[in-house]
Amino acid sequence: MNWTIRVDWPSCLARGLCAELLPERIHLDEWGYPVINGEVTTDVLRHAKAAANACPHRALRLLKAT
Amino acid sequence: MNLPSIDLSGPLLWFANRGTGIVLLVLYTLVVVLGILSAAGRGPSRFIPRFVTQGLHRNLALLATVLLAAHVATAVIDTYVDIRWFDAFLPVGGLYRPFYLGMGALSLDLLLAVGVTSALRSRISERVWRRIHWLAYPSWAVAVIHSLGIGTDIGSPWGRWTVLACVGAVLAAVAGRAVTRRVQVVRS
Amino acid sequence: MSRIEAAPALADDGTARRSLIRRSVPRTVRTDPPAQVVANPGPVLLSGVLDGPSLAAHRDRFGPMPRLDLDSVLATVGAGAVVGRGGAGFPFARKLAAAAAGKRRAVVVVNLAEGEPASAKDTALALLAPHQILDGAEVVAHALHTTDVHIVTPADRPAVGDAIAAALAERASSTGRGRSRRGLPQWRVRAAAPSFVSGQARAVLELLAGRPGLPVTAWQPEAMSGLDGRPTLLSNAETWAQVAAVLRLGAQGYAALGTAAEPGTTLLTLPHRRDRDTAVVVEAAYGTPWADVLGTDVDRPVLLGGFHGTWAGAGALAHVTVSRDELRARGLALGAGVVLPLRLGQCPVAMTGEIVDYLAGQSARRCGPCLNGLPALADEVRRLALGDTSASWTRIGTVVGLVDKRGACAHPDGTARLVRSLLTTFDDEVILHLSGRCSR
Repeated sequence: MNWTIRVDWPSCLARGLCAELLPERIHLDEWGYPVINGEVTTDVLRHAKAAANACPHRALRLLKAT
Repeated sequence: MNLPSIDLSGPLLWFANRGTGIVLLVLYTLVVVLGILSAAGRGPSRFIPRFVTQGLHRNLALLATVLLAAHVATAVIDTYVDIRWFDAFLPVGGLYRPFYLGMGALSLDLLLAVGVTSALRSRISERVWRRIHWLAYPSWAVAVIHSLGIGTDIGSPWGRWTVLACVGAVLAAVAGRAVTRRVQVVRS
Repeated sequence: MSRIEAAPALADDGTARRSLIRRSVPRTVRTDPPAQVVANPGPVLLSGVLDGPSLAAHRDRFGPMPRLDLDSVLATVGAGAVVGRGGAGFPFARKLAAAAAGKRRAVVVVNLAEGEPASAKDTALALLAPHQILDGAEVVAHALHTTDVHIVTPADRPAVGDAIAAALAERASSTGRGRSRRGLPQWRVRAAAPSFVSGQARAVLELLAGRPGLPVTAWQPEAMSGLDGRPTLLSNAETWAQVAAVLRLGAQGYAALGTAAEPGTTLLTLPHRRDRDTAVVVEAAYGTPWADVLGTDVDRPVLLGGFHGTWAGAGALAHVTVSRDELRARGLALGAGVVLPLRLGQCPVAMTGEIVDYLAGQSARRCGPCLNGLPALADEVRRLALGDTSASWTRIGTVVGLVDKRGACAHPDGTARLVRSLLTTFDDEVILHLSGRCSR
């Protein structure tokens, strides 16, 4: 059961917490915005949830992969 | 069986109340300062990871909530002064130093709004959460006023220095944030 | 994933030479809507242009509007394979089914906010055959048991708003006597801001909700949850006209033109041969050879699909027909039907540079990657266009990858598509420019 990471771009203010907490899937581009690399598998699910919970603007969401 | 008895009018509860009070003042000051620091910064962080600052902000706030419950409980249970349980929530009508007690109650009420919305953050809109979260500032300021007049410790030098340090820390953090914000706007 | 595999090898002359072809990129691309629109008579949508836009002329030619239930409408638009004409080409039947399946009462939205400056097909319909659009919206609203119909017009083309207002007034007065007003749509007209992104679906819904008309993230398709969380059937103006046509003619009648896989016709906008301020709108059946549409221009490079479109190299369309499937197989797309042949002496790199510059300025500035990335991309493409040897294929590819699909709307995606297409179709021109030269 995989999850996809979706960014609510108008809300994202490049704070960078998501990349700190989920470096396995998220790194920051040259302007500080998250680049998502792949789906969330069970091995990183805990960190992905922490990343979504840590975003100061609730701009990161985990959605069930279809 | 003989249970150890607590003299409900003795000094133990009074000390506990004062102790938690001082610690709460410092704790909440830390929480506010960490909150201000959490709101700053874009892109990769230079010194401490942002999730650490944010985590400290959230966890110290939780710790403070527990201590606040103890602070209120010790005040109510203590029979030496007449503080009833609803005096902790109602800013008026107190019997013991009513103005400063009321300030404490007001601070707690504002804090309740902040705390409840944060606990239910996933269920409310981001805009609503953010607007209510700003109440943390007046809550802290009113708590400082509460501490200035509710007790006797403020008379002592260390009491005064503690309050001064707390107020100074928050003012410095606010000023620092105002400056960096302007710099950010200019740079973008 | 970027289709650019690796940068081509450049001759290394060892010096940091910064030769420029020219001082600045000339302004040759029009970024305002055309001052005039000419529409040639066509087989279906444009069959009545010579009769005038009045309701009376419309009813004379096309008869009364059909009153159909949802199942009939679904069956007919499904059999007629009606797809959206706003650029994405989404099957209308699927959208309609989704909106009908919602628990709450649906909302119908006619998107007439033609944000693409070079496009004039919706403008032409509004000025010359508005009742085609209104018929389509009215029939579907009736089938969905809703009376909420919104029309969004472009603020920078006031003639469109006037034409729609006049057409609605005609319809209102024609129902004044005798006929019951129940079940008739409550038309609401709103002008969108004059910007490129204002015609984007979510931007339109934001405008209708009373907020600034800028894109927001959509967590569900608007057909499921749109305005006020209600199922919202938002489609391009021409799509509504095509829906009216297929419901009038029946799926079989509609399929008399076009191909088996793509029945019917589509509107295209072309530049006027002599007058730079005029756009020409033609109606072409699917399957029409591009050679018939473009004449001798078919041997020239063509920018297909407008500013978010793709470049067809010189002669690439010579043996291709107007067909979404055929174009897709060649890495091209019809988009919203804007066709811009490259003029003699015009450089495709310079033209792309101008367009990307315009698109960067049209960012809603809401999403970081678009707000930062499009101006960075414009910088890189401008450098390329000027023949500045500090321009880099890899760098362009990197920035393209950083803007694509990283925004609330498709504005950065479309810009990325245009630049990728330049690098693919005109790789030889790009290599020339990278060494400071230009073939034009």
